Amino acid sequence: MATVTAERFEQGLTYEQYKEQMTRNRERLEANESALKLSPDELAPFQGLERPVRVIALAEDWCGDVIANLPVLGRLAAEAGKLDLRVFLRDQNLDIMDEYLNAGQYRSIPVFVFFDDNFQELGRFVERPKSVTAEIDSRRRELFRNNPDFGEPGQPIDQLPEDVRVRLMQAMAAMRADLAPFSNAEVVKALAAIVGQVR
Amino acid sequence: MAKRPVKVSITYCAECGYEPQTLELAGALMRTFGHDVSSIELIPWYEGSFEVSVGSELVHSMYRDGGFADADVVAEAVRRHLEVEA
Repeated sequence: MATVTAERFEQGLTYEQYKEQMTRNRERLEANESALKLSPDELAPFQGLERPVRVIALAEDWCGDVIANLPVLGRLAAEAGKLDLRVFLRDQNLDIMDEYLNAGQYRSIPVFVFFDDNFQELGRFVERPKSVTAEIDSRRRELFRNNPDFGEPGQPIDQLPEDVRVRLMQAMAAMRADLAPFSNAEVVKALAAIVGQVR
Repeated sequence: MAKRPVKVSITYCAECGYEPQTLELAGALMRTFGHDVSSIELIPWYEGSFEVSVGSELVHSMYRDGGFADADVVAEAVRRHLEVEA
């Protein structure tokens, strides 16, 4: 029996309620939310929905992918007005989480699940787009290639001299900031593909 | 001959809420070893990391081993390094 019913859906937190209960990373999530630029073309698939579509999000406030990607869904819901979003804390809703495991094994988050009027799944988004994972890997390899003193990717950080480690930390923060527009656009594309199936 | 104290480094994901586990491990090492550790370095890092090195030996990695470091396992590594360094 599906765990997400109409009754269970209503037990979820609204996006604002989710933000209110965050104990860490709220500033970062809200900064990402504010910085996100949505074009009319990106909003169109969501604004064009004939009636609201229900979406759940599984999230936790310590997860970097939640901090990056939940704001995209939150902004789409707010601006398009056609996504009825509820957020469930993963670790308090493992029965829901275990219906949407990554590769059938991992409790990866965020998970966004879109439902039709009968709570049949229309589609889901898990963690981050593959294109973003590939881009992160590529940029990380390039970063280490261009900075031999950073050592090898995956090498324990504590073996680096502190000044080198600080430079690496700063470079990674800059990489993350630089990647955000691409990542956001890919997330919007992935979610648009799901709502594009709504009849 | 006096033992040469060893350095312990704990690299933890600062965004992930790993502070309690980090401080618990650091406290356990401080109470157990006193001056036999030369320093305990706490390194805030990213992406779910939790790594413990004793000297140059990576004793525990969440990526490699899963989960957080067992304090007894780290203590055993410290003792091993103290014997080698003596």
